[in-house]
Amino acid sequence: MPDSQPILEVLDLHVHFKMLAGVVRAVDGVNFTVERGRCLGIVGESGCGKSVTARSILRLLHSSQTSGQILYHPDGDDEPIDLVNLDPRGDAIRAIRGKDIAMIFQEPMTSLTPVYTIGEQIMESIRQHQDLSEEESQELAISMLNKVGIPDAERRFADYPHQMSGGMRQRVMIAIALCCEPRVLIADEPTTALDVTIQAQILRLIRSLQQDLDMSVIMITHDLSVIAQLADFVVVMYLGQMAEKAPVVELFQNPKHPYTQALLRSIVRPDTPPREQLHSISGSVPDPRNAPSGCRFRNRCPSVHDRCLEDPPVVEFGPQHTATCWLYVDE
Amino acid sequence: MPDTPILQVENLSKFFPVQRGLFRRTVGHVKAVNDVTFTVNKGECVGLVGESGCGKTTVARCLLRLVEPDQGRILLHGEQQTFDIASASRKEMLDVRRQMQIIFQDPFSSLDPRWRVTDVIAEPLIAQKIGRAEASRRVLDILPTVGLGAHFADRFPHELSGGERQRVSIARALVVSPPLVVADEPVSALDVSVRSQIINLLLDLQSQMNLTYVFIAHDLSIVKHISHRIAVMYLGRLVEFGTTQQVFEECKHPYTKALLASVLIPDPTHREQSYVLEGEVPSPLNPPSGCHFSTRCPFAQEQCSAEEPDLRDMGNGHLVRCHFAEDLDLSEGVFALPLATPSASA
Ligand SMILES: Nc1ncnc2c1ncn2[C@@H]1O[C@H](COP(=O)(O)OP(=O)(O)OP(=O)(O)O)[C@@H](O)[C@H]1O
Ligand SMILES: Nc1ncnc2c1ncn2[C@@H]1O[C@H](COP(=O)(O)OP(=O)(O)OP(=O)(O)O)[C@@H](O)[C@H]1O
Ligand code: SF4
Ligand code: SF4
Ligand SMILES: [Mg+2]
Ligand SMILES: [Mg+2]
Repeated sequence: MPDSQPILEVLDLHVHFKMLAGVVRAVDGVNFTVERGRCLGIVGESGCGKSVTARSILRLLHSSQTSGQILYHPDGDDEPIDLVNLDPRGDAIRAIRGKDIAMIFQEPMTSLTPVYTIGEQIMESIRQHQDLSEEESQELAISMLNKVGIPDAERRFADYPHQMSGGMRQRVMIAIALCCEPRVLIADEPTTALDVTIQAQILRLIRSLQQDLDMSVIMITHDLSVIAQLADFVVVMYLGQMAEKAPVVELFQNPKHPYTQALLRSIVRPDTPPREQLHSISGSVPDPRNAPSGCRFRNRCPSVHDRCLEDPPVVEFGPQHTATCWLYVDE
Repeated sequence: MPDTPILQVENLSKFFPVQRGLFRRTVGHVKAVNDVTFTVNKGECVGLVGESGCGKTTVARCLLRLVEPDQGRILLHGEQQTFDIASASRKEMLDVRRQMQIIFQDPFSSLDPRWRVTDVIAEPLIAQKIGRAEASRRVLDILPTVGLGAHFADRFPHELSGGERQRVSIARALVVSPPLVVADEPVSALDVSVRSQIINLLLDLQSQMNLTYVFIAHDLSIVKHISHRIAVMYLGRLVEFGTTQQVFEECKHPYTKALLASVLIPDPTHREQSYVLEGEVPSPLNPPSGCHFSTRCPFAQEQCSAEEPDLRDMGNGHLVRCHFAEDLDLSEGVFALPLATPSASA
């Protein structure tokens, strides 16, 4: 398809943290492409490296060792920029952060400053990237609040974060992220703390803004239902590694990696027979400092084999569908 | 199963005072639980659902008298005797706790970091004045029941995974062999792959030990999976109560319908069911007049904000709190709003 142009390419990304107790290989060999105007979903359980991946794109991890490439393709024919090479505190990444690539964080309360009104916080973010007068930025801020569905935006402009509900604060975060019309929006579990009815509102909002602004979205979640409803393309992570990668319908209908298969089988669906035993995965996710060698899923995998002590290969199953597993390689 | 009530909650209310200023003057009340009535039969699982702050945990805490109810009766039909928990004496509460235990929402905060697993599980036994030696023996008996090896007895909470911690809180609740267990969000904090293990364990234990559950959760798919009957709450009020079939397939309250419709379907080829309920849950300090749902209800009429509807029986014990429960057409069409279909990549 002619319209599938990459805007962001993550190539062989490794992010390691040196700790007293050992090295945490939080992200170990992740590859994916975000296309223009599309939504890439990253799914996995707690600690698998979703947030670290997101933060490394914006160079927000200071104490880490990062290798690989993160190629950002700006509009037009400009050369791609490798974000990994940018100084995390330098001007180059600052110009991109918030302007080209914006992020909504996991905890809205800790990322809003309690001592400033939400209006001041949106205007601050506008000021960093756009040369507008005081009135113009105030107008823009109010129109953003309207756009994200905050009723009575002119009055709420002067509210402090603690005066708002969790859903409203998440909307403010989205307004701040969107005020400079970013090309890429990274949403890290934007609805995990919210009620189902509010979750539905926020996801719809992100979806419609994505279409209106022709924006790319990286949606990070542990919830496969969010992935099913929003993503065009999915990366499944387990303990810092990429287990599987596929277009969304393909992933749900034809999962190849034993972890993806088990995850999909363990979710309760509308037609799951009531009160029957659910499929489950034995054991629990190991501490990343003691991750098994070779395939990190091997101590829980029902298909584990001697070969799995070695790093598994990336196997292709058709266009853009790969799984990292020994199962599909002849001995 | 013959319907023998084990727990009858009648007109239960709990109002928390809201205090402001230097002298902690009471400026109002949060009606956390407002005139809630429901029954739990022996051997069944009753699910309690609703959005954050609607009063689920407060109901649970009232059932165990961890907070003092302001009004109503909570009748527990024990093996020998019926108790009214709302007015039971200290001594009677000891008996009550032998028959009813709670599994808490957050296994991390409900476990004291300095206690070993064995102390955590033994605590309800010690509270029942059972000797140390006997308590330790019973702890070792219960560990395999929840799928933990004996070597877990000497561990500290921080040495456990989330799923293991939740198994410990289940063991702690079951160690006094109570016929009735209240579980407040027992799986919400768990990873997907571990969540189904714990649900399976709860289902297993229920049939093995003939347990009765009150199961609180905000994940409707899980509540539907485990419950025989379901209570739906909104702003402290019970708005619908019925069998899982009645609540899921034949629901009669617009709020229940909206909740069901906002459940995300884990299927990328079905993106049209999502319905978006407008607005937010109003402040429980100052709930809307009349029907509390009237500010968000797509069917609201003038009468709705003027008069609060009663909880009415629509037949076969299906209770609904809506003026127009008989007449509303809650078929999919009204609520369906499509999300876009997935774009095929490349
Ligand atoms: N600054 C840091 N220093 C050391 N280790 C870190 C740091 N940040 C994250 N980690 C570790 O890296 C791993 C991946 O963390 P990450 O936050 O990316 O997980 P996640 O997939 O976002 O999980 P969750 O679903 O719980 O948010 C974890 O083991 C975490 O403890
Ligand atoms: N000890 C307390 N003092 C004052 N208000 C309280 C207290 N406990 C609960 N509340 C209020 O009572 C209402 C009901 O709270 P409750 O914890 O029962 O809700 P919930 O349905 O369990 O919510 P969640 O899904 O977030 O756990 C809320 O508005 C809450 O703020
Ligand atoms: S490589 Fe081996 S252990 Fe890993 S998922 Fe495949 S079969 Fe299972
Ligand atoms: S009483 Fe009125 S506002 Fe309340 S649920 Fe029924 S129709 Fe809606
Ligand atoms: Mg995270
Ligand atoms: Mg609660």
